[in-house]
Amino acid sequence: MSEKGGRMFSLPTKTTPKSSLKSTAGKDDNSAKSKRGRKVQFGTEGSPDVNFSSPKSDGKFATPFGKGGKGEKAANGGKTHVAKESQSLELRVEQELPENVKCLMDCEAASILEGIQDQMVILSSDPTIKLPESFGSGLQYAKTGSYYTNPQSVRKVLQSLTKYGVSNSEICVIANTCPETVDEVFALVRSLEAKRSKLTGPLKDVLEELAKLKTST
Amino acid sequence: MFFHIVLERNMQLHPRHFGRNLRENLVSKLMKDVEGTCSGRHGFVVAITGIENVGKGLIRDGTGFVTFPVKYQCVVFRPFKGEILEAAVTMVNKMGFFAETGPVQIFVSNHLIPDDMEFQSGDMPNYTTSDGSVKIQKDSEVRLKIIGTRVDATEIV
Repeated sequence: MSEKGGRMFSLPTKTTPKSSLKSTAGKDDNSAKSKRGRKVQFGTEGSPDVNFSSPKSDGKFATPFGKGGKGEKAANGGKTHVAKESQSLELRVEQELPENVKCLMDCEAASILEGIQDQMVILSSDPTIKLPESFGSGLQYAKTGSYYTNPQSVRKVLQSLTKYGVSNSEICVIANTCPETVDEVFALVRSLEAKRSKLTGPLKDVLEELAKLKTST
Repeated sequence: MFFHIVLERNMQLHPRHFGRNLRENLVSKLMKDVEGTCSGRHGFVVAITGIENVGKGLIRDGTGFVTFPVKYQCVVFRPFKGEILEAAVTMVNKMGFFAETGPVQIFVSNHLIPDDMEFQSGDMPNYTTSDGSVKIQKDSEVRLKIIGTRVDATEIV
C-alpha cells in the first residue's frame, strides 16, 4: 500500500497530533551486523537533516516526504526548510523532564543495573520478587551500548564540556554514540551546531581522551 | 536514554502487612507495582535504586487500608525526540522495519529509509542498497534518530 516518497500515509492509523509515529532511520549509520559497517561522511550541515525533516510529529506524514525523500548526499537545495524542521528534532530533554532528573550514560546505567542484579541474587530468598522483563532488556541494551571501561573517567572528561554550555543530555548522547570525529558530534547532536566555533577545539581534546578510554572491540 | 529520577507514589497497604516488617512489605509492594511499568511522562521504570522517604500513613475512611506516600529513586528509560539510538532489528516488512532498544519498540517507516535502499522480500526480508553493500534484516544493528514517540498502555513505541 505504501509507495516510497509518496503521499502515502503511513501505517498505524492514528495520526493524532500527539501520537506521532515512531522513529527514523539514521540512514547514515546503518550497518548490517557490524556497528562500523559503513562510514558516513557528514559533508555539509544540511545533509543529515534531509531525511529527518519529514515527520514533524504532527501526524502529517504525507507532505514532507516529497522534500525529505532524497538520499543522504542530498542537495542542499532544501536547506532552509530543513533547518527549521530540524529544530523540532533537537534534543529537548531538559525542557521535557522535571529538574531533578539526571541523565545517565549507557555505561553508568549498565553499572547501576548490574549492581542491582547482583543484589537480587541475595534478595532472591523472597520468591515473589522477580526482576521485570524490561530490566533484562534494559540491562542488555545498556551493556551493548557501553564501550567504555570506566564510567567515572568518561564522566570526568565530558564534564569539562559543561563550562561551554553543553547540557547534560547532550553529553550523554555524545557518550552513548561514541563519535570518532568532531563533525560526527555536530551531526548527531544538532543542538550544538550553534556553538560550533566555541566547541570544536575542546571537543577534539575530549574525543581524544575518550578514544583512550574505549574498550577495544 | 537512561535517567535517574526521583518519583513519588501513594502506596496502599492492607493491615495484615503491618507490624515489624511494615517497611519491607511496603518496599516489596512498591517494587512489584512499579518495576517494569511504563508511563508516558517518565518512560519505563527499569529498576528501583533506593527509597528516599516514606511519609506518614493515612488511614482511609471506611476501610482499614493505609496510604503511604513513598518517594523513591529509580532508573528509567525513555526515548526522546531527537535522540540517537542504536537498535536491533526484529522484523522487516514492506512498510518498514521494527527494531528494539531495551524495552522500547521502534518502528521505522519505509518513507524514512533512504531511497537507495529497496525492500527485498523472501525468506529473510530485508532492505538493501542498490550496490548491495548495506543490508538491513532481522538482527541487524542500526543507528537511528527518534522523530516521535507514542505511549501505548503498557509500552512506549
